[in-house]
Amino acid sequence: MNTHNEPILKIRCENVSKTFIQKGNQEVPVIRNVSLDVYENEFLVVLGPGQCGKSTLLKIIAGLEMPDTGFVTLDGEPVTGPGPDRGLVFQSYMLFAWKTVRDNVELGLKLRNVPANERREIAQHYINMVGLQGFEKHYPHQLSGGMKQRVGIARAYANSPKVMLLDEPFGQLDAQTRMFMQKETTRIWEQEKRTVIFVTNNIDEALFLGDRIILMEGKLPGTIKTEYKVDLPRPREHTSMELLQMRAMITDNTELVL
Amino acid sequence: MSNSIANETINHSKNKEPFSIVRLLTNTYFLNAVSLIAFFLLWDYVARERIFHDSLARPLEVVDQIVRLTQIKYAGTNLWGHIWASTQRIVIGFFLAAIVAVPLGLFMALNKYVNAIVKPLFDLFKPMPPIAWCTIAVLWFGIGETSKVFIIIIGSFVPCLLNAYNGVRLVDPELYDVIRVLGGSRRDEIFHVCFPASFPAVFAGLQISLSVAWTCVLAAELVNSREGMGFLIKRGMDTHKPELVLGGMLLIAAAAWLTSQLVSLLERKLCPWKRTIDNL
Repeated sequence: MNTHNEPILKIRCENVSKTFIQKGNQEVPVIRNVSLDVYENEFLVVLGPGQCGKSTLLKIIAGLEMPDTGFVTLDGEPVTGPGPDRGLVFQSYMLFAWKTVRDNVELGLKLRNVPANERREIAQHYINMVGLQGFEKHYPHQLSGGMKQRVGIARAYANSPKVMLLDEPFGQLDAQTRMFMQKETTRIWEQEKRTVIFVTNNIDEALFLGDRIILMEGKLPGTIKTEYKVDLPRPREHTSMELLQMRAMITDNTELVL
Repeated sequence: MSNSIANETINHSKNKEPFSIVRLLTNTYFLNAVSLIAFFLLWDYVARERIFHDSLARPLEVVDQIVRLTQIKYAGTNLWGHIWASTQRIVIGFFLAAIVAVPLGLFMALNKYVNAIVKPLFDLFKPMPPIAWCTIAVLWFGIGETSKVFIIIIGSFVPCLLNAYNGVRLVDPELYDVIRVLGGSRRDEIFHVCFPASFPAVFAGLQISLSVAWTCVLAAELVNSREGMGFLIKRGMDTHKPELVLGGMLLIAAAAWLTSQLVSLLERKLCPWKRTIDNL
């Protein structure tokens, strides 16, 4: 829960639009006029069904895609490309199959020339944080889906980003592992506070995790439909009365197939 | 908690079951042995019954022939000399092809200008069977070592280049995003993603090249040579000695298998992350 009295602005998206050109010069508008403020140490969830432009929005914030109109700022500075101040966690894990768990987690530090002993120490801290101690020398294919995403989270954290961007990180996990990982995400976030933007298509996940939920329109081009403040203490329960009431409210307002 | 996430640890302990006929009949090694013994018995039967008249030697005659080759000189060279003659050609030709073709393939995948220059030439020569070069090679380089090595280079070049190229092209582009998000440069993308990700494909290419190289050396030696395993086969045919032909075939198979194992060994050393597939 955000306890700041005066929240500090971390990320601002101003009138961001993006159109992709498909084969045959067909224009596909993906997001249109999205404006969004994210505050320091806030857990923001972007909720929307598949194909609503929410992942593109995250990629624009990450700097992997450039908006056609509008801009994104981080701490007041315009975003012009990807950088280590924003850590990205991918839906399909995107681990390096040829690197061990430790080398995957260390990579960001290595790319920024952090000395070997220091980077090992930092990597070990985050490996422990995600509960993978003892698996440092395993290769990704030796891990289960949930464990792979733990590596993905540790890898992003190890780079000490100001903002964590998570793109449907648990989309490929089975329901039980998914719920467990949501609990873990809460634990990790309370342990190491960061500004988080978490993209998901799952209402329960959004309610369980977020301080604030941005609901996207269920069709292209993606626009923001409305937003909800989830002012509930953590750890939350999926079955608590307040959560279920909010769930009904959001469900009434969406085309999500549940 | 570490227990709850370590749910995929494999338990290697084996339960010992008492001996039974069913267990024996379903034992993989037993079935392997049955299959091999049946094959050799059938071969021996067909040879003994002279179904191919005198053109099929019995298995033991082939073994006997190979053993005799180790003791006597055949056409001025003993068995090891013949094996070495072919292997030497393979090693030189395969090595020369690989050190040029693999980097070239990687370059083509990484740089569109290099690709635009090399690809049309490569596409022109790619469908040409390497054996088709046999005669022109003799015209250009004579009947010595050069023409044989040349054919091997031609043959092993294509799979090496193609696999290196595809290995890089098939890398998931999102992996480059990971490097960029972590703060890496284009150079980091190449060294941390491109090269390691393409290694398995490169090695698959090397394996294919190697087997093509053995085909090429055999073809070259059949056309013209005074030593080598292809020469033994050719001489066996000319003098109507089926045991020599079959012996030569077995020797080539053994040599090709050995070189392929060496490449596999190198691959396991260089790509420890690769999942091992049994018996492939």
